[in-house]
Amino acid sequence: MIRQGDRLLAFLLRNATAFLFVAAFLAFGVQAPAFLEPANLLNILLQSSSAAITATGMTFVLLAGGIDLSVGSIMFVSAALAGKVVLGGGSLALVIPIVLAVGIACGAINALFTTRLRIQPFIATLAALYMWRGLGLWITRTRAMNLPESLLQVGTARPLGIPAPIFIFCAVLASAHLVLARTPVGRQIYAIGNDREAADKAGIASGRVIAIVYMLSGLCAALGGLVSVAQLGAVSPTFGNQREFAAIAAAVLGGTSLFGGRGRVFPGTVLGAVLIQTVENGLVIINANPYIYPLIMSAIIFVAVFTDSARHARLSRLSRRYIRPWQAAACRVETANSGEEGKQ
Amino acid sequence: MDPQVQMNRWKRLMVSDYWVLYLSIACFLALFPFTPRLASIENIRNIFSNMLPLLVVAIGETIVLITGGIDLSVTSVIGLSSVIGASIMSSDQGLLAGNPAAAAAGVAGMILAGVFVGWLNGIAVTRLRMPPFIATLTSMMFFGGLAVWLTQSRPIYDLPARFIELGQGAWLWLPNSLAVAGVTAVFAHVLLSRSLLGRWIYAVGTNPRTSLISGVPVNRVVMFAYAASGGCAAVASVLYTARLETGSPVLGQRILLDVIGATVIGGTSLFGGKGNALWTVFGVSFICLIDNSLNMLGLSYFVVTMVKGGIILFAALVDAARSRILAG
Amino acid sequence: MNEDMLLEYEDIEKSFFGVRVLSKVSFTLREGHILGLVGENGAGKSTLVNILGGVISSDAGHIRFQGREYTAASPADAFRQGIGFIHQELNLFTNLDVAENIFIAGFPVRRIACIPWIDARTMRARAEELLGSVGLSIPCDTLVERLSQGERQLVEIAKALRLSARLIILDEPTTSLTARESERLFTLMKELQGRGISMIFISHNLGDVFRLCDDIVVLRDGLVVDAGPVERFSENRVISLMVGRSLDHYYPPRATVPDEEVLLEVSGLSHPGIVEDISLTLRRGEVLGVSGLMGAGRSELARILFGLDPYTRGEITVKGLRMPSGPPRAAIRSGMAFLTENRREEGLLMEASVADNIALVCLPSFTRTPSGLVDSASLKREVSGAASKLRIRSSSLDRQKVRTLSGGNQQKVVLAKWLLSGPSVFILDEPTRGIDVGAKHEIYKIINDLAGRGAGVLLISSEIEELMGMCDRILVMSAGEITACVERPEYDRERILRFALGRKPV
Repeated sequence: MIRQGDRLLAFLLRNATAFLFVAAFLAFGVQAPAFLEPANLLNILLQSSSAAITATGMTFVLLAGGIDLSVGSIMFVSAALAGKVVLGGGSLALVIPIVLAVGIACGAINALFTTRLRIQPFIATLAALYMWRGLGLWITRTRAMNLPESLLQVGTARPLGIPAPIFIFCAVLASAHLVLARTPVGRQIYAIGNDREAADKAGIASGRVIAIVYMLSGLCAALGGLVSVAQLGAVSPTFGNQREFAAIAAAVLGGTSLFGGRGRVFPGTVLGAVLIQTVENGLVIINANPYIYPLIMSAIIFVAVFTDSARHARLSRLSRRYIRPWQAAACRVETANSGEEGKQ
Repeated sequence: MDPQVQMNRWKRLMVSDYWVLYLSIACFLALFPFTPRLASIENIRNIFSNMLPLLVVAIGETIVLITGGIDLSVTSVIGLSSVIGASIMSSDQGLLAGNPAAAAAGVAGMILAGVFVGWLNGIAVTRLRMPPFIATLTSMMFFGGLAVWLTQSRPIYDLPARFIELGQGAWLWLPNSLAVAGVTAVFAHVLLSRSLLGRWIYAVGTNPRTSLISGVPVNRVVMFAYAASGGCAAVASVLYTARLETGSPVLGQRILLDVIGATVIGGTSLFGGKGNALWTVFGVSFICLIDNSLNMLGLSYFVVTMVKGGIILFAALVDAARSRILAG
Repeated sequence: MNEDMLLEYEDIEKSFFGVRVLSKVSFTLREGHILGLVGENGAGKSTLVNILGGVISSDAGHIRFQGREYTAASPADAFRQGIGFIHQELNLFTNLDVAENIFIAGFPVRRIACIPWIDARTMRARAEELLGSVGLSIPCDTLVERLSQGERQLVEIAKALRLSARLIILDEPTTSLTARESERLFTLMKELQGRGISMIFISHNLGDVFRLCDDIVVLRDGLVVDAGPVERFSENRVISLMVGRSLDHYYPPRATVPDEEVLLEVSGLSHPGIVEDISLTLRRGEVLGVSGLMGAGRSELARILFGLDPYTRGEITVKGLRMPSGPPRAAIRSGMAFLTENRREEGLLMEASVADNIALVCLPSFTRTPSGLVDSASLKREVSGAASKLRIRSSSLDRQKVRTLSGGNQQKVVLAKWLLSGPSVFILDEPTRGIDVGAKHEIYKIINDLAGRGAGVLLISSEIEELMGMCDRILVMSAGEITACVERPEYDRERILRFALGRKPV
């Protein structure tokens, strides 16, 4: 039976990200009004573009019930390759397709390992994390690469008057949203994440769909990497470190479940990515001890994952069969009407 | 019908207990012609001394893997432990600076810290039902960050001689680190193969539902596994810290790859229910051998990293293949 | 071969793990007819339709569908050939809406710039059409998560109609439905019949079967005992056929009679939606049977008694001591044992050795405190003692994995495991399911032996014969309640089945 306190808790947990946003704005805004200036807010958006793009790719994988721990390394290796090509004289028009192709290839390899060879996603992508990082370090000879002007354009250009990173981020977001909401593949991703066995029984080509999500994740990682190095101006040997964690955090904060089948890129993942960047930006502005950042981040992620696990456990309990359905019907109707997340 | 009889020679080799040992020997023999220095006493000693602290961590990880979970926070536990211990012991700024019991208190503090983090991991996995890898990944970030924050990223020097003796010294001919690693390995072996708790650990990893119905206290067993992993990481931290003679928050940063690689290649299954101390010893020696020999061959850090990544993949493949062979 | 038959089964055979489940099953189904498939638990009904639905394949025999030889490689394949299957466990995606669920494997698309986009308008229109044809008037963008069981079932039927299925199989569709939802389903079935769609209807509710069906097939022990138009049958006749003449089953005689002492006492046990007001007593030396159909709540009751699931009202008392609501450890300590109905998932550690499995429950009593080490020598002795006493056939207790044993031996391993803990109250849930005759007899003897030594046995079984041969009393459950308690002198197969079906005896 649903109690009032239970309902309130459910409401709070469901909108945790929104509350955190408000809390962050209040906390930082009060301590340092410079935080709320438009220039700073734009800055936040610029800085979160790369993370949002990567997190969008991660969302695809999580929705299908998998995980991709190699995105940071894919970011690195594709940025390294891009840098090498550009420094060797290649034009931007050449570099961008190469970068994207590298991302897709890495994703395809991840897909191969998880679907054909049946290795658990987290160990396969953990191994890939090390492999691609090693490859990237080899390409850059473990030295930082300063990037020429041509590549930096990706960071400074203003198509249609909007800074390029934000433009790209919006384009990725829009495409991802459309794919997930309006294409057969997109809906099948949700189905597979909800119940893989039922998906196979229904005749969905699950293997193919899962390969697609990993390739998309690789693609987004590469693109995110490109956007990021264009703003940084250089590819350092530690570029991309722990970015997979940030991507997972953004997705989970945005409501994507680690158990699959639940989540949205807009507003969900985007909000998560921007929230993370907001917190980081705010901490810098109030001159907080930089070492506090990982503590706060992991605390936020912990809350997000805990919420996800609790909700998942609750939903599993509610969906068991009842011997005496008329008695259980009363309980069911109440929970159904408490309205979970609405349409995915 | 005994399934062993039906397998051909290769398959039988793969499922043998000692297959990693054979693999190590094969690698050694294969690489020896390229770097004869590989077999020098000095080098062997080098491999050995790298092996020992890694073995201690890997043993803890093995216990968690047998229950069907995973602990990705061990590297941060090493760093945090190191920092906490040094904060207690350091003659320079430590809490018990100059006190003769500083070393002992420091070590106690380190181990307590490790077990505490492990206990928290256990709660997240059993009570809060969070998936082990994300729970321990979050731990890793949090406690790693905590260690860095506590020291403002500055290492702590001036550790008491007694403590340093623990990691670098020897009693008669037996290096202390070997003794520590050896005791840990033997203790783990006895725990896993002879004790009630050990049997329960295997049962939980094989089938938690059957275990629960058969009266096994599943939650407590899992909590123990994570606490043990944290504790082992702390013990390894003692060795690493003593060797480095510094309390450093980033002490364990690079070894996660080695720990996972060593346990998985040794034969401990990621699906749970399988694994033991001996296999982990072989796995650790294999990883250290690879690390050492590839370095000797002049290959750079990144190539070695790639190879190790490839090894984990290979090990996971073999793991899956072994389960399939044994399933008939 | 009759040309105007929609479906023909000819000599279909199927075995699982060496146990024969279907033997020379043959029947026909005309177009536009509803066929009622009845039989007790384990008679082979689900297996029979699973072959048609592409879930499993037959070992021998032929199926002809729409005049042609029929095989299905997968459920999706069967669906494409025009056979819809509404399982008891619905295969819907709770995170998607109704329309998406219906079209999940075949969305109507429009290609724009080489990318397939879901043609939402067409999808919605067709979904509404299909929903209308099953009488469901909810918006097609409702999330399945929000639907009741009855509504979800109708969505499944709409899904089946998407590819114009000619034959729909309904496997126990009414078990989770309220009375009103059942009525709605029956109206729909009649309507579909009017459109020329044939159906196979599996149900325990004989009243429903007689109402809806044109033909009946009665299965017993994997054989078709009778089939034909429904007019040829009466309810009594069907019940007799289901239950059958006594097959020469030998049940070992009991040496002792139950004592006065009460070992287990349950009063007013309830948990909303699961069980209602359960009261029973189990005496020393008694074998108490629990009969009922699948879904009656017997296993659920057992799980509650053993502390695996919670209960909200009532009391459980073992040997005078009140039992808390779990965990299983507490039940074991007070002398209970529980052999579950699925030994592979809950009774055994499949990848472990026979010896490790047998030792699992009694391990703590062989542990030397304070070292925590197990006394493996005496444990080994006890384990081999138990194994030989139960005549477990294994090449090596320590090395052979339980997975490689036969079903009967596997079950004996589970029994041995529990016997070593010296239980006083032993709950056995379907102990002889999926086991050959020889092993069954051995298990019966073990049960008698247990009772003879003063334990109380709660025997849950779907074989009424088995209960009548083994038990001193039989409780009958239906829909989470105990509907009857039958004493030995009143043992009658049909009577018990009627109680299980929820009907009053004649």
